[in-house]
Amino acid sequence: MSESNDYLLAMEGICKAFPGVQALDTVDFSLNRGEIHCLVGENGAGKSTLIKVLTGVDRPEAGKISLDGKEIHPRSPQHAQSLGISTVYQEINLCPNLNVAENILLGREPHKGGRIDWPKTKILAAEALKRILDIGIDVTKPLSTYTVAIQQMVAIARAIDITSAKILILDEPTSSLDANETQQLFKAMRKLKEDGVGIIFITHFISQVYDISDRITVLRNGKLVGTYETDSITRVELIAKMIGRSLSDLDEMSSIKLESSKQIKSEVLLKAIKLGRIESINPFNLELHSGEVVGLAGLLGSGRSEIARVLFGADRPDTGVIEFNGKAVTDHSPLGAIKRGIALCPEDRKAEGIVDDLTVRENIILAMQANNGWFHYLRLQEQYAIADKYIEMLNIATPSADQPVKNLSGGNQQKVILARWLATKPQVLILDEPTRGIDVGTKAEIQKLVLELADEGMSCVFISSELEEVLRTSHRIAVLREREKVAEFSGEVDEHTIMQAIAGSES
Amino acid sequence: MMERASNFISNNRRYIPVLATAILAFSAYGIGAIYFEGLRNPQVFLNLFRNSSYLLISAIGMTFVILSGGIDLSVSGIVVLTTVVSAALLRAGWNPWAVILLVIAMGMTMGVVMGSFIVYLKVQPFIATLAGMWFARGMCFFISDNAIEINHPTFKILGQTRLLIPGLKELADKQGIPAPYISIPVVVGFVILIAAVFLAHFTRFGRTVYAIGGNQQSARLMGLPVNRTLLLVYTFNGFCSVMAGLAFALFVSSGHGLYAPGFELDVIASVVIGGTLLTGGSGYVIGTLFGVMVLAITQALIQFIGSLSSWWTKIVIGVLMLIFIGVQAWLTNRKGGRRASLDAQAYRRPRQRLALVAGVLLTIIVLAIIFIPRLITPSAGSTPVSDQCEVKPFRKDEAASLIADGAVVAYHRLAGPNCIDEMYAIYPDGRVVGDNGTSQVEANKDPAALTSMLMTIRDEYGWFTDEIVDTYHVPCRQCYAHYVIIVHDGQEKGTTAVDGGVSMPPGYGYTLAVIRNFLPVMPPAP
Amino acid sequence: MNKPANFSRTWKKITENRIFFPLVLFLLILFFDFLFIPGFFNIENRDGNLYGSLIDILRNGSVVSLLAIGMTLVIATGGIDLSVGAVMAISASVAGILMNPSALKNEVFFVTDPTYTFQPLWVVICVALFVAILCGLWNGMLVAYMKIQPMVATLILMIAGRGIAQLITNGLRVQITYRPFSVIGQGWFILPFSLYIVLFMLLATWLFTRRTAIGMFIESVGINFRSSFFSGVKEKNIKLLVYIICGLTAGIAGLVASSNIRTSDANNIGLFTELDAILAVVIGGTSMSGGRFSLVASVIGAMVMQAVTQSMYAIGVPAFALQAIKAVVVILVILLFSEQARNFIRSLGSKKQEV
Repeated sequence: MSESNDYLLAMEGICKAFPGVQALDTVDFSLNRGEIHCLVGENGAGKSTLIKVLTGVDRPEAGKISLDGKEIHPRSPQHAQSLGISTVYQEINLCPNLNVAENILLGREPHKGGRIDWPKTKILAAEALKRILDIGIDVTKPLSTYTVAIQQMVAIARAIDITSAKILILDEPTSSLDANETQQLFKAMRKLKEDGVGIIFITHFISQVYDISDRITVLRNGKLVGTYETDSITRVELIAKMIGRSLSDLDEMSSIKLESSKQIKSEVLLKAIKLGRIESINPFNLELHSGEVVGLAGLLGSGRSEIARVLFGADRPDTGVIEFNGKAVTDHSPLGAIKRGIALCPEDRKAEGIVDDLTVRENIILAMQANNGWFHYLRLQEQYAIADKYIEMLNIATPSADQPVKNLSGGNQQKVILARWLATKPQVLILDEPTRGIDVGTKAEIQKLVLELADEGMSCVFISSELEEVLRTSHRIAVLREREKVAEFSGEVDEHTIMQAIAGSES
Repeated sequence: MMERASNFISNNRRYIPVLATAILAFSAYGIGAIYFEGLRNPQVFLNLFRNSSYLLISAIGMTFVILSGGIDLSVSGIVVLTTVVSAALLRAGWNPWAVILLVIAMGMTMGVVMGSFIVYLKVQPFIATLAGMWFARGMCFFISDNAIEINHPTFKILGQTRLLIPGLKELADKQGIPAPYISIPVVVGFVILIAAVFLAHFTRFGRTVYAIGGNQQSARLMGLPVNRTLLLVYTFNGFCSVMAGLAFALFVSSGHGLYAPGFELDVIASVVIGGTLLTGGSGYVIGTLFGVMVLAITQALIQFIGSLSSWWTKIVIGVLMLIFIGVQAWLTNRKGGRRASLDAQAYRRPRQRLALVAGVLLTIIVLAIIFIPRLITPSAGSTPVSDQCEVKPFRKDEAASLIADGAVVAYHRLAGPNCIDEMYAIYPDGRVVGDNGTSQVEANKDPAALTSMLMTIRDEYGWFTDEIVDTYHVPCRQCYAHYVIIVHDGQEKGTTAVDGGVSMPPGYGYTLAVIRNFLPVMPPAP
Repeated sequence: MNKPANFSRTWKKITENRIFFPLVLFLLILFFDFLFIPGFFNIENRDGNLYGSLIDILRNGSVVSLLAIGMTLVIATGGIDLSVGAVMAISASVAGILMNPSALKNEVFFVTDPTYTFQPLWVVICVALFVAILCGLWNGMLVAYMKIQPMVATLILMIAGRGIAQLITNGLRVQITYRPFSVIGQGWFILPFSLYIVLFMLLATWLFTRRTAIGMFIESVGINFRSSFFSGVKEKNIKLLVYIICGLTAGIAGLVASSNIRTSDANNIGLFTELDAILAVVIGGTSMSGGRFSLVASVIGAMVMQAVTQSMYAIGVPAFALQAIKAVVVILVILLFSEQARNFIRSLGSKKQEV
């Protein structure tokens, strides 16, 4: 039975490699007409690469894409759009200074007698909104006066209207929407579904996956884990597929035993009391003891990085109090945190971590130097000594300490940032996805290091999408779901329990 | 009721800057008219447009550039290059219309070249257009080191024709005042303005410009012809710069590479004050008209006040720009969307406070810079009025006696930065005498030239017509005051005027210019 | 196998050094002068002081060099300062008025006594520089704390600043007859005095930025603002500091310029010099988006531009045609300094491709 003929879209055996990493490894994907198909996976799974291949931004090394049975080779987003594949990105790519009608019809405005026919434009735009999404808004107001949810609808309307798209790709559309707006969006999506449009929906909100989708495809580290009917897979099973133990890594990992004395002193270093930040993380309580590793488990978007930032001081909390060594914290800033002895290794090392044109040495001593202030410049000898110490300790692969950090591989860059924070000799070390994009061997190194640091009295917060990792390295685990801390377990807990906590209720 | 009002305001927030500028322009003029009689003369109001026609034309082109998110510093260069090229070609005998077509082609070519640098070579607009300005100004000097006069009759007609305004002529005749008029460049300016408004709001090109200014990345992704549009924008600005250059050439009747220094800043200021965001994507072309008016009115007011140095103009413009940029920043903060508004609220309060503090700081700093040096130096308890040269009254009797003695021109010049007091007399045989109270000069000029000059003054400049009236007011620090009596062909007339204002009739200015050619240089008073 | 590898490594090191490009340009121009301008390299010794075309380049280029020092730091943080010309005018005006306040009084008397000054020299200099620092502070506040775009923020002072300068001198060109002041621009101790000022500021700024953590922080802020924030660097204060320094150097440049012409001409002092300064920094290799900077390279860049100007004069190019030449130079420089060209030249020295 030649199934590919029935599919609206069929992608077979897609392979795509970037220098140093296999982004997609023989991935298959299919989409029916009138189907909402969710694409899920944690960071680095390959979702965005798959979409880029489909929309012509990147070209695959191997594989075949068929639309309505015919093979296609999208060359660019414009070309993909002309083929009928439209995308609405997370950053709404419209012009907020123009009004709604214009945004929908930009480039195709109706003309009358040599000039743009505004009345007709308004009518056409309103009609498109009604027809495609069944919503009616004042199309003469500037786009910027509308909420993000409405802006997204406008973007969708434009995408569909332009080429009567057959396939609509929605890339994380609900990240900035509240519950009501999400339902608005879903209503529009169901209307499109009725009209036979195939929708690829990328999201990390599991409850939404179950709310709206017909089928789910799970990617992990560039490989296809599987495609499932939404009705036939439970939440826990899904989460297991996404972040649970994976067979290939399992063998490698189990050979590296982690030893830890697990000596937790009872001294409370950091205490968060009803700490919260609007639109970021709901008020939570958390205690960090000296010599302990606390893991934060949860899916992408559940608030992990937000907790990290607010504990560190990069984000100012709106509610609650942080106590460090018993005293309430008033100076919420990175410098204040460093002075207190709190360190944060941020999640996005490119944007928030490395200063790419500076050398390894400079990157390593940066935070230390910030602590010393402008005028107590560390002597060059000292700088090199510190740099060399950490290069050796963390096994950073670099020809010299004077190499610009941008020339290092991702894993080594991560180590440089780690070195930077270790150099400040913190009492509390928060690590947000420290092992992302790093090979297995280095991952184990880092996990071992974290436990060693804890043994020396440091208190660590370990955040990772890989649940297995969190379990291996943590003494205690806090579980987050949809911007809220929902549970806390001791380190001896089993995976299944955690995944259930992450999944929440089965609906 | 209040809620409906605030809703109305927030829905139409985008019109606020333009309205603000318009209100500012008209109320400033209105208040000025209450205090200064001169401003109540409708001709003075129309002269605002006549004198700033080149600014308006250039600012229209610049509006499009800024709307697209770019900037063009080359406008002053193209303006002066236009003046020099036209002057040189006219002097060489070219047909004036061919000259006009040629310079337009030249300006648009320069626009295309700069646009290509910006679009294809990804050079920052600031640098590319700066290079363009230097290049253009430099080219002027390849053509000529000195100013070249424009004497071509066609250009004279273009520059000096008075277009009477239908409707106002009858009103004026009834009141017995000369009919108000405007010049051809003003009409051209308004035609370009209307065309620009049409382009901006009724063509795909204009909407693409707005889109690019709003988010260039999005515009590309939406499939708009970004590169082509940007090229067109810079080309159009080249066109406007040339037209402004032509208007300017008509205004000063000559061409020189040193003219209009800093003109591009005035143009940018007009656009910003007219409500267009410097970051692009937001603003209205009509706002630029009001921005130009604000600049012109500011200058006029300061001249009329007289006791303020004319450099206050630059400061006022700077302060206005700050206010408008601040207001723009505040308005754009309040974007739609819950998330954005929350962040904005978090930022807005401290930012508003900062804006207030900044404004206070600016005022304090400016005042400090101005007054601290004065406080340190001994000042003679000077009040603003006596800070300037004490202008003596015109020696009209003495001038009259010179005429009685047989002079055909008696010219008394006062004030100026060095506070002079010079009296000249020109006699029919070409002899010229000058006296400044301490020294005397004498020269002999060609009587035929004198006669031809007098004829020009009578016929072309209309000295003896109702055009030329007394327009004396307190001169600014840099400005001279003039009293001229001319005798020719049985007619005799003496009139006063002051430099650098909108009030001096153009004919007077031309007359002064030709008379000056006759006068010998007076050694400065000790 | 070792020899070529060593050569390519050394070549790479040389070409990657920021000073390489501007120095090469400078030498190219001097070479051109050597070929085409007889007597260009003559240096005469009069009364123990050295004179000559080369010396003139150094002396005339000192104003732009001073500006370039401050501008380098500003551009290194990813900003720009368009108001330096206006700040020059303001500082010159303040200095002029403090020495010769006749402009403020009603009488226009000409001071002819070269030893007369209304305020002692040190007061004059200190107040003028203090005012210049205030201007820098103003710019810094707008950019760092109010988060206004640098180009827009400094444009305001650029427009208003000249007006303020004019106000200070009441619109007049103040004559400066006080002899000691003219030493600043015209003095000569073997080499022109202004050159010593440049060297002093260069040394002082170098010490200030490279012997403290400030230089590293400036580069860090320019390369990645957010990462610097997370690492505890006080980015706002760094930005404020660089604009203050830029104001200071502009103030000094204003004193030098006005001393050169013995007037404080608020209209013309520093006109268009901001553009020369920016160009000098670009030639000196500092990227306009911020990051690594080299003060010495920027000063050499300023000298390059001065050398071009001087050489053109020596050949006989008319004064203002120079602007057209400058424009061509700008275009060439930009194209030459695009990433592609630099990479190409670098690759000339190393045959191996990086894997």
